[in-house]
Amino acid sequence: MSSVNAPVAQAPPILHLSSVVGSPLRDADGERLGTAEDVIVRLGGAGYPPITGFLVNVAGRTSYLGVDRVSDIGADGVVLRKAKLDLRRFERRPDEVLLRRDVLDRQLINVEGARLVRANEIELAHLGGSWRVVGVDTGPRGGLRRLLPKRLGSRIATGEFLDWAGVEPFVGHVPTVRLRVPHPKLAKLHPAQIADLVEAASRREGEEIIQAVGDDDRELEADVFEELDDHHQREFLEDRTDAEIAEIVSRMAPDDAADIVGELDEERREPVLALLPVSHRVKVRALLGYDPAEAGGLMSPDFLLLGPTTPAADALQAARRSTIAPELLTVVFVASPDGALQGAVPVTALLRAEPAQRLEALVKHEIPCLSPDASFEEVARLMADYNLTAIPVADEHERMVGVVTVDDVLEAMLPRGWRRRFGLLGED
Amino acid sequence: MRRLRSVTFGRPRLPARLSSRRARIFVFLGLLGPGLIAANAGNDAGGVATYASAGAKYGYDLLWTIVLITVSLAIVQMLAARMGTVTGKGLAELIREEYGIRWSVLATSAVLVANLGICISDFVGIGAALGLAGVPAQVTVPIAALGIWMIIVRGSYRSAERIFVWFTIPFFAYPIAAVLAHPRWGDVGKAVVAPHLHASSSYLLILIATAGTTITPYMQLYLQSAVVERGVREEERGREEREAISGAVFANLVAAFIIIATGATLFVHGVHSISSAGDAARALKPFAGQYAEALFGIGLLGASLLAAAILPIATAYVVSESLGYEKGIGRRREEAPVFVNLITGMIAIGAFVAIIPGVPVISLLVAVQVVNGLLLPINLYFIWRLARSPQLMGEHRSRGLLDVATGVTAAVLSALSLALVVVTAAGL
Repeated sequence: MSSVNAPVAQAPPILHLSSVVGSPLRDADGERLGTAEDVIVRLGGAGYPPITGFLVNVAGRTSYLGVDRVSDIGADGVVLRKAKLDLRRFERRPDEVLLRRDVLDRQLINVEGARLVRANEIELAHLGGSWRVVGVDTGPRGGLRRLLPKRLGSRIATGEFLDWAGVEPFVGHVPTVRLRVPHPKLAKLHPAQIADLVEAASRREGEEIIQAVGDDDRELEADVFEELDDHHQREFLEDRTDAEIAEIVSRMAPDDAADIVGELDEERREPVLALLPVSHRVKVRALLGYDPAEAGGLMSPDFLLLGPTTPAADALQAARRSTIAPELLTVVFVASPDGALQGAVPVTALLRAEPAQRLEALVKHEIPCLSPDASFEEVARLMADYNLTAIPVADEHERMVGVVTVDDVLEAMLPRGWRRRFGLLGED
Repeated sequence: MRRLRSVTFGRPRLPARLSSRRARIFVFLGLLGPGLIAANAGNDAGGVATYASAGAKYGYDLLWTIVLITVSLAIVQMLAARMGTVTGKGLAELIREEYGIRWSVLATSAVLVANLGICISDFVGIGAALGLAGVPAQVTVPIAALGIWMIIVRGSYRSAERIFVWFTIPFFAYPIAAVLAHPRWGDVGKAVVAPHLHASSSYLLILIATAGTTITPYMQLYLQSAVVERGVREEERGREEREAISGAVFANLVAAFIIIATGATLFVHGVHSISSAGDAARALKPFAGQYAEALFGIGLLGASLLAAAILPIATAYVVSESLGYEKGIGRRREEAPVFVNLITGMIAIGAFVAIIPGVPVISLLVAVQVVNGLLLPINLYFIWRLARSPQLMGEHRSRGLLDVATGVTAAVLSALSLALVVVTAAGL
């Protein structure tokens, strides 16, 4: 976790947002003119977001004060550069948020820990010639400082806080302008972690995460959708157009794509399928023909099937050229010339074999084969009994139609409520 | 070398597959969901004692207030369900985000104190109910506490909710008890329609107590958090609101039957004062036979078990939401330490205090009433303000008549609550 130990020798002193908000606004001579109500920062750029101005209350009116008119921010309050006060009406500019109103007390994504946290305090510092937001305190110290009367609260020392580089604020609730701040840090996370965040967040926040992910990486968006649970998949697909759904689905593996299409309302399935690329559509439609609780519904139609006379070297070459996802290609399957499935050869066995050795010499005949309507329990039991990570599915003519991999089985076996726990275990 | 294309065959997926099966279960559980649970937890030991006193002292004269209280409770519960669905956040979370840490901590501490008190009284109620069957509380209360703890901490949210729904079955004992008591239904009907006012302080006191025990802050807090935990989608909002309303109506029907049962027996026979729910059950015996006593005991047991389970959950949610800790029923202690420890602590303290012989339950309940009376106005004010906020609720914000009705409800109940605080504190 990227915690910053506050009082490091060379680090600039930390200023708390809570000590700035409500502090007096003074002119250059120290005369009190009003109060500082909020701090405006610009998000979106790289590095620590700079403070661009303040909301100040002078004689009962709230106005905007640009940061260029301020000479210092400190324990005594916000001090003006000139004696003359130049106030304007506040209008939100793109990428600008109010720290107290829009960020403090709300949820943020702790990217390092892949979890949601709440901002108890926001930490500011003078860095590189301007005042910036450097971090967020999610611990009890920040909260306590704001709870206690100002005099007592200001004595609470700065605690450990999360570096701003490791957090992303939600901005979807910011009014007037619908902010579209990119969340580049999210791309560092695993799709499963992003999916966990979406599931843990409220609907709007989840929407914001998915939108942000989709804006700069369509592929990642599809991966996140694959990882979401049924409930959330439905929730976030419902509002989308058929074309948008088709775009996401076309980036997914056929078995996951079939699950997603199966989640849609019946009248939407065909229009979405019609928008998929042909080869993808054929596979997805075929998979939709099976019961999701049976081998046919769990399997993927992507596998490598070779003849028994193929030499090991050629088989490896075929594996190298194939675009099949790695988890589906831990074994290659062997079929006789008439198409009947004979057995499987692990890719590891191919690597160890002599290049000229034929597959028929390497094939394991005793591996079980499932029919598409084999129950889920049977799939799981066979995999456990035979120590398999992939198991072939064949039709009544012994032609192979798909492969069930261990990750699909595990996912279906996880008890309700376990899925969400992943990634939310990070320490405070 | 060749690759086998997938082919379409096998058992087709059921047209609407899992979703229809799931949908049917949802509809069933939707009728019996968090709304029912939240509102009916109010018919707990304290509630039964209050309604029974009302019936014993004034016969059916307070029935008309139950009608008004039902409307108020239905409005407030519906808004809590609505806010949970639309924002995806708990009430404590919204208060924190919109009104800052001080308000949320104030409300949270009040919830903590008030709920702990009610929790103790409910374990006392469990002991009293089973005490009617001759089993000492020192035996029954620890067993009940352990059982409740297991359901909450070891189960998932859904399984817990399903068990809680069963706890409301004993409520049907009250209508039967009321019928066994042979009330004059004509008088009952008249009392429901026509307000009977008595110009006495004790009448006013019991009226306020009835309102206070029927509309308790934890009901809204629990309901909204439960709706969020359920992950209710926006399209299911209508059903969730209807469920909240029907739960409120059912809860108050039960309250009305308790008043009728005691009004037809105790009041008619001149037994005007009872001090606890167990007393009420015992007092019924000479007039309506031992079945009435048993039925009253069963109802009391169900309600007390339900409330003793709901209160720790509601409290843990509120504290976790407002302070930003991990939360969720079924989470293990390592995952959500604060949440789980709060539940464990509340159950342990509640059960422990309840089995200490000679615990001054009445004075404890009085103190709890005061804290609750202070908390309710805060709660209602926030519900009213948050539910009408366009920024938060968008098109679902309360408008027109609903908004006015909520405002009036909040104002009247707040006035009643504060009156109760003053009266109790003055020791009248």
